[in-house]
Amino acid sequence: MVRNYKWIFVSLLVLVNLYGQVKLSVKTIPKKVNVMLDGINIGKSPIINDRITPGLHKFEIVKNGFAPITYDILVNPSQAIHLDFFMNPIYQVKFKTQEKGLVFELNGEHLWDDKFIRLDLEAGDHFLRVFKLNEIIDEQTIHVDEPKKFNYYLKKPISEK
Amino acid sequence: MKKIPQYLLFLFLGSLYSANLESTFLVFNHFDRDLPAAEQALVDNFNNSTFEFDPSIYHMFENLDNHENPAASHMVTIKELGEKYQVNYILFNRIEHIDDRFILNGLLFNTRSGGLIHRRKVDLKQYLNGQINELNMWVGNTVGQVEKNWENNRKSILFSGPEEINYEKTPRGAAIRSLAAPGWGQAYSGKKVSAGLWASTESSLSLAAIISFLNYDKAAKSFKNNSKLYHGTNDEKEVTNYRAAAENDWNDHVKFSALAIAFAGATGTGWVANSIHAWIVGPRAYKNLYQKWDPKSTNTTG
Repeated sequence: MVRNYKWIFVSLLVLVNLYGQVKLSVKTIPKKVNVMLDGINIGKSPIINDRITPGLHKFEIVKNGFAPITYDILVNPSQAIHLDFFMNPIYQVKFKTQEKGLVFELNGEHLWDDKFIRLDLEAGDHFLRVFKLNEIIDEQTIHVDEPKKFNYYLKKPISEK
Repeated sequence: MKKIPQYLLFLFLGSLYSANLESTFLVFNHFDRDLPAAEQALVDNFNNSTFEFDPSIYHMFENLDNHENPAASHMVTIKELGEKYQVNYILFNRIEHIDDRFILNGLLFNTRSGGLIHRRKVDLKQYLNGQINELNMWVGNTVGQVEKNWENNRKSILFSGPEEINYEKTPRGAAIRSLAAPGWGQAYSGKKVSAGLWASTESSLSLAAIISFLNYDKAAKSFKNNSKLYHGTNDEKEVTNYRAAAENDWNDHVKFSALAIAFAGATGTGWVANSIHAWIVGPRAYKNLYQKWDPKSTNTTG
């Protein structure tokens, strides 16, 4: 009889444990991307009807040719969570100029003074700033939507036109 | 002992029943711009669900995140609304437009528990019928009915992966064209001058090679003929003439043979070089950036 109670107790524990978890589904664009949850690979997207425990978790989504995604989430006790991730592609961009003495800065973090460089940039808008003799001479937003080559030219004074 | 499996079966069926609710929705739409087709789209696309619309109540869902427990912040009201309208779920959709983007904030409440069971926040660049499409996807997700064409519509605004980009014109296309006909690849890339130069150079070299070959052939035949005549006569004058002619033909045939080989070699090398050149100058995505910012501006950002 005591054994039977144990059986019921274990079954209830399993049920409570199952219901204590939250149903998880993860979709990504593009599909078939490895999804890491707290450092463990839980499979390729789309992931449907997996389970996650309430609490703090970290998702990492990485695919060649796309910007990696890291997403921290606090899962509250609930029925289900559904996550959609849009991965942004990375394009190889060439940047060239014939002008002399220019220093370029992209998104406030990348600096270069070479006449020709290759950059791996995320698709979307990027902020370009151009310096000459430590002064800003140009600011503009460049749009990256494919592997592209940018040629930069200074505006010539009217007398030189 | 026998009661244990029955008890578990009861538990299982109970949980299954509770999860399988009919989909009747009370919908509160709150849009900052008119979307007259939104309500009809939900009714048309989700035949298996029933929708009631009430535009009056939406204030209660604003600033939901300011509550200590957002999911349970309106339990009593949600239950009351559920009883009043006889619905299983309450759906709140808010769409705000910011420049060229729109934000869809969707909340789904269960009227039985009164709690928030599903939430979606989408921040996307606007696309054709994007608001309705995202609304369909959000509601479709809650009722488990997401159509492929909605997903494809959304994909239309996303950047293509590097391997999915199809260029109309490529350097390889230019190289292949130039291999077929010198100058064609350059013309295909819009380089009209180099196309003309390559076409004229290659045709001149080919013509020179053909002419040299024809002259060589003519000299060789003439040499054979004069040699035959030389051996067939005993006349001293004729012997001298035929010998001189045969010697000239021999020299010509050697000269034109060397010229034909040289011109043919130059044509072949040029042909390959022209194809490589077509690949180098082939069409590639590029953009010219010209200095835009006015240095006289008082803007000293950065």
